[in-house]
Amino acid sequence: MMKKKISSKIKKVSNLKYDAALAEEPFEWWGPTPDEARKVMSAKPKGMHDKRKTLKEAVGKFVKDGINIGIGGFVNTRVPVAIIHEIIRHGAQNLTLSFQSNSICAELLAGAMIVDPDRISIKRVELAWWGYEVIGIAPLLRYLTSRGMIRLDDYTNYGMTARFKAAAMGIPFVPTRDHGGSDMELVNRGQMVQCPFSGKNIYVVPACHPDVAIIHVTAADMYGNCRIFGAHCTCPEITMAAANSIVTTEKIIPNENIRTYPNLTEIPYAAVDALVEQPFGAYPGASYGFHWFDMEHILMFRSICDNFRKTGNKDGLKKYYDEYIFGCETFDDFLGKLPYSTLRKLRDMDGGQPVILS
Amino acid sequence: MPEYTPFEMIAFTGSRVLEDEKIVFVGTGLPIIASMHAQMTHAPNLAMIFESGPLSPILEMGMPLSVGDTRACRKACYLKGLAAVFELTQRGYSDYAFIGGAQIDMYGNVCSTFEGGTYNEPLTRFPGSGGAGAMAANCEKSIIIMALEKRRFVDKVEFLTSIGFGDGSADYREKAGVMGEGPYRVITNQALFGFDKKTRRMVLLEVIPGKTAQDIKDLVSFDLLVSPDLKEMAEPTDEDLRLLREECDPDGYFLNRKVK
Repeated sequence: MMKKKISSKIKKVSNLKYDAALAEEPFEWWGPTPDEARKVMSAKPKGMHDKRKTLKEAVGKFVKDGINIGIGGFVNTRVPVAIIHEIIRHGAQNLTLSFQSNSICAELLAGAMIVDPDRISIKRVELAWWGYEVIGIAPLLRYLTSRGMIRLDDYTNYGMTARFKAAAMGIPFVPTRDHGGSDMELVNRGQMVQCPFSGKNIYVVPACHPDVAIIHVTAADMYGNCRIFGAHCTCPEITMAAANSIVTTEKIIPNENIRTYPNLTEIPYAAVDALVEQPFGAYPGASYGFHWFDMEHILMFRSICDNFRKTGNKDGLKKYYDEYIFGCETFDDFLGKLPYSTLRKLRDMDGGQPVILS
Repeated sequence: MPEYTPFEMIAFTGSRVLEDEKIVFVGTGLPIIASMHAQMTHAPNLAMIFESGPLSPILEMGMPLSVGDTRACRKACYLKGLAAVFELTQRGYSDYAFIGGAQIDMYGNVCSTFEGGTYNEPLTRFPGSGGAGAMAANCEKSIIIMALEKRRFVDKVEFLTSIGFGDGSADYREKAGVMGEGPYRVITNQALFGFDKKTRRMVLLEVIPGKTAQDIKDLVSFDLLVSPDLKEMAEPTDEDLRLLREECDPDGYFLNRKVK
């Protein structure tokens, strides 16, 4: 099936240089199909069970070569860094990554691929944005793309959110009011269709079911009922879209608290497969109500990456990974290398954002 | 007149463009500063919406350093996630998209995806659309901040990331399936641009004192229309600069580009 039968007038304006054959290749799911994702869910035991595991157990069980990993958080907020560290230690080849906007998680995986391609490799990424906002562009994204080492599939932030949401809704695609008339229409895996009701053009994007969602939340009970304070980003949708999920939480709270205020539950227990209590699990990203992001650590890691991009010398990168990831058994070991004054400062800079744990 | 930096002029002009009683969907940096300044001066009932989830926060903890910064959530009236704020926008709740980019053409189409090489092997890959493509498609009006340079005001963008008026045809946006009216203002430190209602082409509305329309035309690759009613850009007063420097961005993250 040719992919793009109906289109906007993008071809009248586009000046894009791209691989048209690749863009027109027949659609394929970059993770479980909607039917496969449904089967996984139907087959799961749905009882309330203690989901607590160590990060090593959780990643060992769910992370395999060739899977699609859906990364939660947004830019520097509630990014699942602890799980990323464990994935890097564990190793996985030919990964597909899916997210809207991410910074440190995507760069950490990219850096691991550069340091040890036999341990970690990223094949392709479906995304909206990869960078550090005020801190600057993502050096390793630039390095990998300029060498054609990874394939990107570009959407808007809403496009990626809508794709996870469609998957979470159990539908195979969703219409959006964006992408059409932009060059994303030419290169991404969505397509323009005619609305069966209005007869007008409308752009549809395919559902995105990750094999594994990796998410950091504010609080959860031992069964995986999760509360999220601050921006939800797209964490509930990604978790419920995924075939399996690994969730780290700042704090484990009693089930009784969850049952007192069930409206506060943003992710239900049935959508969580492994739960790890990991304070500072988003560090050096921020976790609303607990700590702000660590600008200095991110600047340090980014400058190491940028130095590699400019010189091709891997020594600085290797040193970072040896010290902070390979040289640590657990994420707590990594946090233990940080001065108390740093963690104290980040906690103060959160400014006591209000969260409800009761 | 007091001395000011190019970034301060952009933030001040951005503030002037925003009307009261509206909702502005802000990108990181200068759009947030411009919106804060507008709230403190002529637009007290202007609300900001941030793509990570919050609507109408009170930014009392200082300026958020990104649209995902936890500080952007402070005392918001409504706080969910990306789906909620972008769906509000599709529905028509967001009056202004306030975005930036690397290249813009005469129809207000913006590139923030790559420069040089091909899409599949770009010389310089940028972060990507992020929220900008969705904001430009579905907020009612787009306000775009650009650096005024020939290599940025181009005949054709290399990747059309954020939709403007496309090829300029009257039905371009309708055929694209998007909702908003489209580009409204382009802000640089030396000139303010709008768009001609009939041709949908970029038109010079205001120039900074001391410059002429020709000076601006020399910095633009395409044939720029000039408003018959060309005006001088207003400059920030001492009080505007105090607000920008002391209240909006006291650490100089964006007005002084401290981080880089």
